[in-house]
Amino acid sequence: MDRREFLKKLGRWTGSISFSLPILQQVVPSAKAEVRTTLLSCAEGKDYSTLVSKVLDPLGGITALVKKDERVVIKPNIAWDRTPEQGANTHPEIVKSLVAICLEAGASQVMVFDRPVNEERRCYATSGIKAAVESLGDRRVSCPYIDQRKFIPVRIDKGKSITEWEFYKDALEADCYINVPVAKQHGSIGLSLGLKNIMGVIGGRRGFIHLSLAQRIADLNTVIKPRLTLIDATRIIFRNGPSGGSLNDVKVINTLIASRDTVAADAYTTTLFQMAPEAIDSTIAAYQLGLGEMDLKKIKIIRV
Amino acid sequence: MRSRRNFSLSSLRRLSQLFFVILFLILFRKTDYAGTDQLPYAVNIFFRLDPLVAASVMLGAEVIITLVLYSVIVVFLTLLFGRFFCGWVCPLGSLLDLCHGLIPQQKKGSRGRFKSWKYLLLTLILTFAFFGLPLVGYFDPFSILVRSMTIVLDPFLYWIVSTPFDFLYKVAPGWITKASELIYAQLKQFILPYNQKVYTLTSMSLIIFLLIFALEKVERRFWCRNLCPLGGLLALLSRFSFLRGYIQETCNDCQSCNKVCRMEAIDSQMRIIPEDCNLCLDCRDLCLNKSVSFKFKRPSEKLPSLGVSRRAFVGTLFAGIILPAFFKVRADTKMANPSLIRPPGAINERKFLNRCIRCGGCMKVCPTNALHPSLFEAGAEGIFAPRLIPRIGFCEFNCTLCGQVCPTGAINRLVLKEKQKTVIGTTYFDKNRCLPYAKGIPCIVCEEHCPTPDKAIKLREAQVFNPEGKTVTIKQPYLIDRFCIGCGICENKCPVEGTAAVIVLKKSEKVNLPF
Repeated sequence: MDRREFLKKLGRWTGSISFSLPILQQVVPSAKAEVRTTLLSCAEGKDYSTLVSKVLDPLGGITALVKKDERVVIKPNIAWDRTPEQGANTHPEIVKSLVAICLEAGASQVMVFDRPVNEERRCYATSGIKAAVESLGDRRVSCPYIDQRKFIPVRIDKGKSITEWEFYKDALEADCYINVPVAKQHGSIGLSLGLKNIMGVIGGRRGFIHLSLAQRIADLNTVIKPRLTLIDATRIIFRNGPSGGSLNDVKVINTLIASRDTVAADAYTTTLFQMAPEAIDSTIAAYQLGLGEMDLKKIKIIRV
Repeated sequence: MRSRRNFSLSSLRRLSQLFFVILFLILFRKTDYAGTDQLPYAVNIFFRLDPLVAASVMLGAEVIITLVLYSVIVVFLTLLFGRFFCGWVCPLGSLLDLCHGLIPQQKKGSRGRFKSWKYLLLTLILTFAFFGLPLVGYFDPFSILVRSMTIVLDPFLYWIVSTPFDFLYKVAPGWITKASELIYAQLKQFILPYNQKVYTLTSMSLIIFLLIFALEKVERRFWCRNLCPLGGLLALLSRFSFLRGYIQETCNDCQSCNKVCRMEAIDSQMRIIPEDCNLCLDCRDLCLNKSVSFKFKRPSEKLPSLGVSRRAFVGTLFAGIILPAFFKVRADTKMANPSLIRPPGAINERKFLNRCIRCGGCMKVCPTNALHPSLFEAGAEGIFAPRLIPRIGFCEFNCTLCGQVCPTGAINRLVLKEKQKTVIGTTYFDKNRCLPYAKGIPCIVCEEHCPTPDKAIKLREAQVFNPEGKTVTIKQPYLIDRFCIGCGICENKCPVEGTAAVIVLKKSEKVNLPF
């Protein structure tokens, strides 16, 4: 190969590779809305290992939610470098028992992840979630850190405030996506609940979302529809949220709320903070987008 | 009969060099968050064994610093064995040896012309240290090595390895990606740093590092022979050492020892000069008629002089006393740079600069990539000292790693409770840029992230005009000064493009936080 030939080849290779790149950045159309039953279940108890299956019973138990051989993604809140007692993240025992029953239901794979705010290793460690999930010792379970390469742009057709954003590939491709937020106070939208938890599977500059937080959260929620939203209200931060830090701002109420309808779950959980569902703008925005029911009278609430 | 001499001591020396290079690299890699806030190893052990660091830092601080007292071991061993440290231990020397084959040398070399420079440099560093101008960090071999690795080599390594794998991940078919990701995962676990970091002053660090290797072109171990002030200090001690090399009468003057000597330690009278010899033992193993031996015996005759003229020494001493004075009469002494945020636990600024040895260990360990080498923010003598740049990374509320890594106590080792109350800066809102103030757009990102248990950033409602000209009620952030510790997460996460609308500036006063 002489120099001329080499340069020609180099040019061709470079050209063809660079032209082929844009094709690979596919834009995934948003998933179609599922039919929802506005059934909500609420359970209280100190034994977190059984509390999860208890709260799921009225919804038909885990087998009604997770089918055999499904790839399950569990999305807790692991945003902060805070301990379980501080209540800023989902309680590790709740995540652990949820993973365990998904495995029992025959899930082929269970992934647990979040895009943290603090340094990721610190969050996964201090929250206790990585250790709790890995203590199950099952090869189907993993608790990986976010891989920046897996954020892919998604068109948000129904979005009123944002029309495109990056979403995490594993969350989009899951057969069964389970939303496991923790309930806590939030300076902007009042409370950080199920809808807000979507912030952990999106890429980009998340600060931008805050400029119209309630509407944009609702917009983002049109993309991923959780099969189940399980709100962890075992510990609720009622002041200085969403990061918290002081045990004086945490109330232990040992409660779990479960529903297939995230809006309904949020609406009901709001009442635990002695607020009306209408006080939370993101709930209203999501309701207006037809993402779920927020009228407590139309939600069948089963306490167990 | 094969004599005992056939056992090659120089291969033992090579083994020792390899061991210490690998140890050095492992400790460097372990200078990272590892699942708990406590570092499991004394990752800074090389600095703590370094008598140059110990001498200059203690001279500068005028106190005994227990952290660096391990260096007494090296002093003691040098009095026994001579400059063995340079030949058997020093990772920079070993790396220079390793690259020996790659860098062709000029024939002539410097013929010992610059050998005295290291003593003058040592004199300058120590007098400077005493008179309050820190210099040791720019010439200590470990400082140079760890700093260069932190700032340039390690981020470069990550980039150069990850880029092709990321490219494959993006374009290659599944079966290739499956294999490549497997290899990538292994590399990430055992070889690469945890993630891609970036630093300021990369080119400067790289040039200094490459210069040391480029000097090999002049002669082997140019740095060690002529410049290294640690080498100079150990050389002075070696004049009193017990283990000495001798060339016996059986020598047939073949000069092969002279040719192989990496330190040019054999003089014209075929004496092995202890302050130059780093005991690599190549001469002993190569000598054809076994005329070179090393014995625990001091020679009866006097050693040749160091080659430092009285004039040069006095001149250097004088410069060492006078030059620091010029640094005392600059504006910096009255007006500290407000963007100069030191790591939590950093001692008082003047003392900090004297005690920091610019090793970059804190920058390496910082999990959020918040610490960066400063250029002239603290004056010319502050180059490479760490500063926090909130826009790049913030100080993790629950992290105390930088204080654990610091080998000299320039950054105090704080327990977590203390650290969380240590004020490194304070926060200001730029109301002309902050969205709720300037544009009437809701945004509470700073408040959301504020990590102090009682938030230093709070919100209050105000009536403002929004971009459409309508009056809206909006939450505006404000600061409770006494809660703010200056961690910088607010500036880091501020969604305003470019310069943040919330800025952390240095605060020097000590304040007692109420929580």
